[in-house]
Amino acid sequence: MAHSPLEQFVIKPIIPLHVAGYDISFTQSAAWMLVAVVVATALMTLTMRSRALVPGRWQNLSEMLYEFIGGMVNDTLHEEGKKYFPLVFSLFMIVLMGNLLGMLPYSFTYTSHIIVTGALALLVFALSTIVGFARHGLHFFSLFLPKGLPVLMMPLIVVIEVISYLSRPLSLSVRLFANMTAGHTMLKVFAGFSVGLIAAGTATGFLSVIPVIVNIALIGLELMIAFIQAYVFAILTCIYLKDAIELH
Amino acid sequence: MRAFANEQLMGAVLVSLTPEELSRKIKEARVKQGQDPDPTAPKPAQPANAATAKAMRAATELVAALMVGGFLGYWLDTWLNTRPLFMILLFFAGFAAGFLNIYRAQTGQEFKVGMGELKDKDDTKTGEKEQ
Repeated sequence: MAHSPLEQFVIKPIIPLHVAGYDISFTQSAAWMLVAVVVATALMTLTMRSRALVPGRWQNLSEMLYEFIGGMVNDTLHEEGKKYFPLVFSLFMIVLMGNLLGMLPYSFTYTSHIIVTGALALLVFALSTIVGFARHGLHFFSLFLPKGLPVLMMPLIVVIEVISYLSRPLSLSVRLFANMTAGHTMLKVFAGFSVGLIAAGTATGFLSVIPVIVNIALIGLELMIAFIQAYVFAILTCIYLKDAIELH
Repeated sequence: MRAFANEQLMGAVLVSLTPEELSRKIKEARVKQGQDPDPTAPKPAQPANAATAKAMRAATELVAALMVGGFLGYWLDTWLNTRPLFMILLFFAGFAAGFLNIYRAQTGQEFKVGMGELKDKDDTKTGEKEQ
């Protein structure tokens, strides 16, 4: 089991802690979340310290991140978006940092656990539902009732729309979790091929270069997926909030 | 003396241009030098990353709706003791919801619920921009 490709996902406690029968140990997953928060905060504050009119490389990086999310929020939510920018940006950064820091050797990818992505998705789902009810009251239920729908079709369509609405947090969390888990497992499996080929003898040992080359390409792919998944998470947060705010 | 004459000549050319002509000339020169994209060239429908992001969403949208439908049906059945009536019904409703989700995501409709809005072309356009 020690060399299983899934072994990397095992949660290991760093500081064991048990309170009232609950295991609330400080795990390596929590530690990497802390690292992500520190790195993200440091990235955004330290690089902006010079406040140069003509940005340097680092300042440019944080300005790009800021403008990327700022533009996205502004395009979807317009004026209303300003209120939600901090939330969307924080979610984007925590997912992006989780995905990218997970690419470091010996690190841990906390976004590969559905409990983490599920909690983030439920936060978005609960917030958009609360915002919807707070702004439109019971009228928010009209979200499930398309305009100009024949009465005969109503029971069928309402059921489908409710399922569609309830599937949001599930698809949001499963997408991120599945992509991260699959990618990291694949890297480990290909790395395992190299080890196996070397162990099989000197003749096949030369062939062990091939999985390494594949892995180099896969790491590039994984970096792209790390970014795209953070982007998808952020844009879907915007779209769900937009539905709750505008409600045609 | 000749250099001076050249400067005078250039000045005369610049002066004879209206600001509109000048900005048009600058634009043309920028395109020629490759500093700006050619406006006549067909634009890509959307950046490659956005397309990948769209594609990655499709599979999970379907599976998630199926799971929610199936689970809701199972829960209703256990509650009303009608197994397996609702599980089968809602499984298919989940299937429909999944395809609806994919359709909306791909056409840029998103979850803008409402069949009536499908005909609204302006709506579809703004939806696509968001992607």
